[in-house]
Amino acid sequence: MKPRENSLLPLEDAREAALFFVVGALCFLAALAALSAKSTYGAARAWTAEVEGEFTVSLSGADATASAEAAKLLAKVEGVKAARAFTDAEINELLEPNFGQSGLPADLPVPRLIAVTADTGAGDLGPRLSLALHEAGYDAAVDAHSEWAGDVRHMLAVSRIAALSIVALLSATAIAVIAFATHAALLARRDIVDVLHIAGARDRFIASLFERRFWLLGLRAGTVGALVALASVAVLIALGRSGAERTGLLPQLSLDFPDLAVLVVTPVIAGLAARIAAGITVMRSLKTVM
Amino acid sequence: MTQLRPDMFEEAAVRLDGVSLRYDSSEEILSGIDLVLKPGSFSFLTGASGAGKSSLLKLLYLAQPPTRGEVSLFGRPTGRLTRDQLSALRRRVGVVFQEFRLLTHLTAYENVALPLRVMGRKESQYRRDVEELLTWVGLGERLHKRPETLSGGEQQRVAIARAVVTQPNLLIADEPTGNVDPDMGARLMRLFFELNKRLGTTVIIATHDLGLIRQIDAPVFRLANGMLVQESGEKTPAARRRTDPLKAMP
Repeated sequence: MKPRENSLLPLEDAREAALFFVVGALCFLAALAALSAKSTYGAARAWTAEVEGEFTVSLSGADATASAEAAKLLAKVEGVKAARAFTDAEINELLEPNFGQSGLPADLPVPRLIAVTADTGAGDLGPRLSLALHEAGYDAAVDAHSEWAGDVRHMLAVSRIAALSIVALLSATAIAVIAFATHAALLARRDIVDVLHIAGARDRFIASLFERRFWLLGLRAGTVGALVALASVAVLIALGRSGAERTGLLPQLSLDFPDLAVLVVTPVIAGLAARIAAGITVMRSLKTVM
Repeated sequence: MTQLRPDMFEEAAVRLDGVSLRYDSSEEILSGIDLVLKPGSFSFLTGASGAGKSSLLKLLYLAQPPTRGEVSLFGRPTGRLTRDQLSALRRRVGVVFQEFRLLTHLTAYENVALPLRVMGRKESQYRRDVEELLTWVGLGERLHKRPETLSGGEQQRVAIARAVVTQPNLLIADEPTGNVDPDMGARLMRLFFELNKRLGTTVIIATHDLGLIRQIDAPVFRLANGMLVQESGEKTPAARRRTDPLKAMP
């Protein structure tokens, strides 16, 4: 039986093994950065959605009864969905980290707290709450969470942009590395390219040989990088779940469908980037000869 | 032969018109070369080492554009062709390199089939032709051997088979007998004559083997000081009397 025909390009050599490692590592980092960006985006959305539209009112010099009456007053303000005075137990729980479980000194003037939830689309409710309390004679301060939630959201947005920038930088680096490697491969296989060229091979034909080679290399290296990223994320999730309890502010890594889609798409993008970089490099290089 | 005649232009397989060549800023290797090779002609190109034989052949197989002048193949001036048109023209040219230039990762069969793969032919279309050709050059039992396992003469025959497998209109051979013993050299020359005679392939062979040239009744062009001149008086009287160059072959 006749052996199967070999590729017109020889099998990959040590140089391509090194390139495989570099592309795989870049894909691993890019996948992690993409997952981080996605997680950061998700965390920002979830957290800000939760705190926006919530207000905390603190009443100075008021007791539990006055606090309850103030809550009823606030519940009637247009745009307020609910208003609830904090119980003593709840206030003690909030202050427990500072004062311990023995409770507060009786003579300590602790403000009473009221949690206010705004209707969706209620607009800027803070000034209206302040006005209503002021007109009723309360010495009150309204804390709109959205003010500092905005800062947190801004910070998360910056983090997300940074993560996406890292993805873009890693992708650009991978493309540059592949272009460089293709050029080196072209030089190393100049003899083969010359023979093909003189035999009448069109530029597109020669480029397609390198495109196929680097497409497969990118695909394989990207798959390995994505699988390592998958394993890393799994380990990070396991560590996160077994670690500190208060991780609410941190982006939570997960492995839901979009995350898995990122990991599946990574090798394809790596392969396509490798293919395009190789094709362009070969075509440009061939243009320098007759 | 170097004298251009208007009636030759239409049918010339190769025409060089005032062609000069220099690499970078070096001196001209070829200066004002005029050459016409008629279709079906058989010619030798000779000259001392470094005279520019290989450079002239590079111009003919379109691996190098001239610095000045025009190279035309089969009536088409190559300076005005697109890259794809140049590739199409190269497919009508077979080249035997002095150093063979076989692809070491391919078998003898695959090396010979390479130009056909480049042309987009399916293996089912060419398998039999390639096997027959390799059998014809005496390598029927070595089809699937890699070049490094073949002798110099066998590699040379693979290179020749690769050059002729597409039945090119023009066959260019650079020192094709330079790496083989005299007997093998004579056999290879006979192969070129067979192609020339049977298929009408235009053949030009670069060689400095004057013994070989003297045996064969074919035009000889000599390169010296960058100039091309047609040589005469080199052949033996017996060779000049011969009408069929194949008769001179062992």
